[in-house]
Amino acid sequence: MLETFSSLLYGFTVAITPINILYCLIGVVTGTIIGALPGLGPSAGLAVLLPITFGADPVSGIIMLAGIYYGAMYGGSITSILINTPGDSAAVMTTLDGYPLAQRGKAGPAMGMAAFSSFIGGTFGVIVFTFLAPALAKAALSFGPPEYFALMVLGLTTLSGMTGESPVKGFISALVGLFLGIVGLDLVTGKPRFTFGMMELFSGIDFIPVAMGVFGIAEIIVAAEEKVNIEGLKNADLRWHKLFPSAMDWARSKWVIARGSVIGFIIGMLPGAGATIASFISYGMAKKVSKHPEQFGTGAIEGVAAPESANNAASTGAFVPLLTLGVPGSASTAILMGALMMFGLRPGPMLFERNPEFVWGLIASMYVGNIMLILMVLLFVPVFVRVLQVPKPSLNAVVIAFILVGAYSLNNSMFDVWLTIGFGLLGYFMKKMRYPGAPMVLALVLGQLLETSMRQSLILSEGSFSIFFARPISAVLMVIALSAIFLPLIKSMLKRVKVKNVSA
Amino acid sequence: MKIKKILTLILALMLVVSLVVGCSSTPKDVGKKEEPKKEEKPAYPERAIEFVVPFSAGGGSDILARTITKIITDKGWVSQPINVVNKPGGSGSIGYAYVAEKKGNPYYIATVSSSFYTAPLLGNSPVSYKDFQPVAGLAMDTLALFVREDSEFTSIKQVIEKAKAEPKGIAIGGTSGTSDDAVMYRVLQDKAGIELKYVPFESGGQVMTALLGGHVDLVWANPGEALNQVEAGKARAIVVASSERIPGFENVPTLIEEGINAKLAQFRGVVMPKDAPPEAVKYMEDVLKKLSESKEWQEMYIEKNSITPRFLGHEEFAKAIVELSDMYAEIFEKIGATKK
Repeated sequence: MLETFSSLLYGFTVAITPINILYCLIGVVTGTIIGALPGLGPSAGLAVLLPITFGADPVSGIIMLAGIYYGAMYGGSITSILINTPGDSAAVMTTLDGYPLAQRGKAGPAMGMAAFSSFIGGTFGVIVFTFLAPALAKAALSFGPPEYFALMVLGLTTLSGMTGESPVKGFISALVGLFLGIVGLDLVTGKPRFTFGMMELFSGIDFIPVAMGVFGIAEIIVAAEEKVNIEGLKNADLRWHKLFPSAMDWARSKWVIARGSVIGFIIGMLPGAGATIASFISYGMAKKVSKHPEQFGTGAIEGVAAPESANNAASTGAFVPLLTLGVPGSASTAILMGALMMFGLRPGPMLFERNPEFVWGLIASMYVGNIMLILMVLLFVPVFVRVLQVPKPSLNAVVIAFILVGAYSLNNSMFDVWLTIGFGLLGYFMKKMRYPGAPMVLALVLGQLLETSMRQSLILSEGSFSIFFARPISAVLMVIALSAIFLPLIKSMLKRVKVKNVSA
Repeated sequence: MKIKKILTLILALMLVVSLVVGCSSTPKDVGKKEEPKKEEKPAYPERAIEFVVPFSAGGGSDILARTITKIITDKGWVSQPINVVNKPGGSGSIGYAYVAEKKGNPYYIATVSSSFYTAPLLGNSPVSYKDFQPVAGLAMDTLALFVREDSEFTSIKQVIEKAKAEPKGIAIGGTSGTSDDAVMYRVLQDKAGIELKYVPFESGGQVMTALLGGHVDLVWANPGEALNQVEAGKARAIVVASSERIPGFENVPTLIEEGINAKLAQFRGVVMPKDAPPEAVKYMEDVLKKLSESKEWQEMYIEKNSITPRFLGHEEFAKAIVELSDMYAEIFEKIGATKK
């Protein structure tokens, strides 16, 4: 413990040099902007800005790149709340309650709450990382295929919370998402499935074109067609002190944020899961345990706090496997790992011993970065909100341009642009016919991992399903998931029995 | 109204930022370097060269391309900028097809790795090595079989014994169906007459995590990928698939030494589209030769990745490519993976 403190202090001496503070600032500012731009996610930003850091000292370079990565999580919520278009994939859930809040003239508190829960989640993540990273890395390793499967099942149970007015339509939407998830080269046999001979589909349908289409483009078409109520948006009271969530908001959100931070960090640590899935599960859990679940989706402040605390904690959690095991958990951390290797460092168990100035400098910079981010976001929220004053036609055109550029930047390919437009049209019809988009997007993300982990588990167990219940972590997750499905059923049955008894 | 104008302007500016970030291909300002001192300025290159990586940023090919670019740029060996562009998807096919389309154009170069050979053989790519002009081979990479430090296995013989006693009792992890590690798993099964359980994962990182977490028992991986785990005493190699022992793993025997007649070596190098002008090929080959002899290359790439350096000029590299493609074809034929 004491040793950790002295290492951390040492880290601060590295992080608080003027040059490193400058790099950190550049990183978090760029990250926030990239996060806020629809379609441009942290991995595209990292890939492009990577070469800029080559001239720099490795510590400074990685401080900047890490700043882009976790800064993007702050930025993502801005466009989610203001224009119902998620800035990056981890901010999809923030649209569900953030935008309705903005429509009611509460854009300020929503963005304030997003910033504060991001800060709490992010800082919680860094603190846990500082003291527990090596121990946690071991825990993350105990997650094998059956555990991932159980986690994905648990994730899918949160679907029931997003079906909106008609459960049938919600489940149809989810099934479409699950189907989209199986497109691509089959992992086990290497054979293409539903690719219709298109090479671009071999690697599967990426989640971002779907989310950008269904949430971004569709929203804009509908808004252009109908008079969407934005009076609330325009008349929002955006004086500085109004940004701070009220005592009431805090009371409603405090446990949600605490839970979101823990869930986010744990899921972020698992290679392959990451911030997006963390935000889904955190939102679903918040709704499940809430006393007034019916308010979710109509502008509940907890609906903003839950995903935002989780995705920031997750982005810090992702550093655990990267730095302590040398295994990147996501596309973004793979780029960070590539950057480390180009700086001549080898991430992995030896990094803490060989390059302490580097590791602790980075960790310390994350404390600094989170403080910079909250200050910056709070200072600039009034400016961001002014975006809504831009005449609607110009704003829509610019947003569509952002989305399409972002889609192109995924793989530097036009295919993703067409895919995004296609899903935009699909999303438009879904909105018109009142099919919710969130279940489709959720099922797409979870479905790919669900299938993979299930097949891996069954290969390991040679076809026996008992593997999901024979291992402690997976068994516990399965029990939670199953009880989430069956408890409401049993409750309503018990109620009916009681009613019968009374009437009898 | 004024505010609206300013805001529109700001939005337009942000759009420009987004266009630059989204579409740019990592510019490099080589312009500041001095012009080559030769009296006669070489005709090639007259403009920026696009270095296409058919995989995502952060992977093995990406690191290769970016290391080459960094050294060449730092040294000022090429008078024009080199832009690294990632074109991932379709296990490399999309990026390779993109470069092959630029027939005769020497301003596009690409990295070569195993799917350059395997994807066409499996019918997953519209282009093959015949659509490219080899420029130079730079290094040979191979695979080693890794176990956890506390594993019961210390040699491949023990693995084979146990697998024979208990068919399908040992789990081996790897990446998707047709990558190098999956190929080696099938070759090993075939040559040793054993049966293992193959558990595929989506990335090399996930495979390594599964090994360290004890979810699988064996893993074929590039030595460089696992070097950090070996140094930390978390994993060890029990056999390598190269024809000779490799640096950094001198105590690890080859498959051939262990009596299993199999080997796998992957050539990492650079290609241009077919029919590229010979003087451009020669120019790039010379630059890469200088690169391969530099201290920086040795330190930044060869040692870090535990790779065997071997420079091949364009003619020898062309031969090596044909040989490698034939080798994969033969393996696939045997394991029944070739597209008929």
